[in-house]
Amino acid sequence: MAEEQQRSRRRGQGELEAMVLSALREADGPATAGWVQERLGTDLAYTTVITILTRLLAKGVVTRRRAGRSFAWTPASDQAGLAAHRMRKVLDGESDRQAVLASFVTGLAPADERLLRELLERPESDGED
Amino acid sequence: MGVFVFLPLVLPLTAWPIARLAEHHLHPRTATRLLTGVAAVMAVCSTVCLALVMVVGTAQLPGNPLPDGWSDPEVRAAVPFDEVVGKAAIPALCAVVVACGRTLWRHGRVRRRAHRALAGLRGTEVAVLPDAVPYAYALPGGRRDRVVVTTGLLEQLGPAERRALFAHERAHLAGRHHRFLLAVQLAARANPFLRPLRTAVAYTAERWADEDAAQRVGSRRTVAHAIGRAALVSRGTPVPTLAGLAAAGPVPRRVAALLGPAPAVRRWPSLFTVVGLAAWGATAGAVMSAMSSANSAVTMALILYAATPL
Repeated sequence: MAEEQQRSRRRGQGELEAMVLSALREADGPATAGWVQERLGTDLAYTTVITILTRLLAKGVVTRRRAGRSFAWTPASDQAGLAAHRMRKVLDGESDRQAVLASFVTGLAPADERLLRELLERPESDGED
Repeated sequence: MGVFVFLPLVLPLTAWPIARLAEHHLHPRTATRLLTGVAAVMAVCSTVCLALVMVVGTAQLPGNPLPDGWSDPEVRAAVPFDEVVGKAAIPALCAVVVACGRTLWRHGRVRRRAHRALAGLRGTEVAVLPDAVPYAYALPGGRRDRVVVTTGLLEQLGPAERRALFAHERAHLAGRHHRFLLAVQLAARANPFLRPLRTAVAYTAERWADEDAAQRVGSRRTVAHAIGRAALVSRGTPVPTLAGLAAAGPVPRRVAALLGPAPAVRRWPSLFTVVGLAAWGATAGAVMSAMSSANSAVTMALILYAATPL
């Protein structure tokens, strides 16, 4: 029950991050949190917007500089950059992901690396079809 | 029935040489299907066997909800060393259930989290992520199957090699390879003797996708080079292997296989070849395991039925 709630909350966070980032990217220059809140037009609290912006800052997706008493925020990367960051976190957190995500290559032992280089340097042979 | 009751628990050992042979000699598609089937049958049989042994050995323990009649001396005569084995079967069965549950849960969680990470991107099949770390994989499920690849990897590959990479990942998705991988993983959890089959299927599934990709791009050499190049740039996470026993890892073997002649797509080879021996041996082993398990199960069920107080 509690886990279910937490799960939906987490999904909400991912979507909110994407929303805030896209709003920020629509701005002409650095924008304040208040501008983002207005732009989103949802019933998001100001503090929520600040929280999300801070989280995006930690991920290196946005930057900020002080402007008067508040911060002006600028997007540092696009949605793809945010997705890349999140994906890295998923992959780093899973030791056993190999069996779930069929990946193109796995790691190489030093002996494998030598063998692989030999194989690739071999001239065109009759193996080609 | 004697010790034959325990046969399904140890028969998976016969799968080791079979996995070796199938991996080397069968077409990867045939090998993947065959080995997954064998693993699934043997895992189900061994779990059924474990459950039956537990019932017979423990039905008379105080506090057990099972009918006492299920553990009458006549019934217990069917299982050698019933008491010890029966008690040992309880933690074993619990371990199997927990391990399989955890595997399923983690499988779902990784897939969910990976799809969620891509939220906010356009819903195209290929998701290119700006990341210097080179990796690529196929991500099934969600709103649609996706191929995830980083710019770090794409930059290292030529146009033909990129096509090979995408063809490889699409082959994984089209062939639903994750189902085979999940099945053998669950089997390996149900009976640790089946672990070599999991390793074998992980390899043959990659080979299967390699061969499909080679057919799609029309050159086995291009696919070999794409794999080799990708492996060389993404090294840094060496797979843990026992150094003394380490044969060539999966990547060089895949490249070597692609540089060699294409595998033949024969369905059922003759018994008098190495390939045939592997295929038929595997089938015979699976059938024997299944039959001996079914035999145990039916006999046991009949005895239990007779012993049930009506």
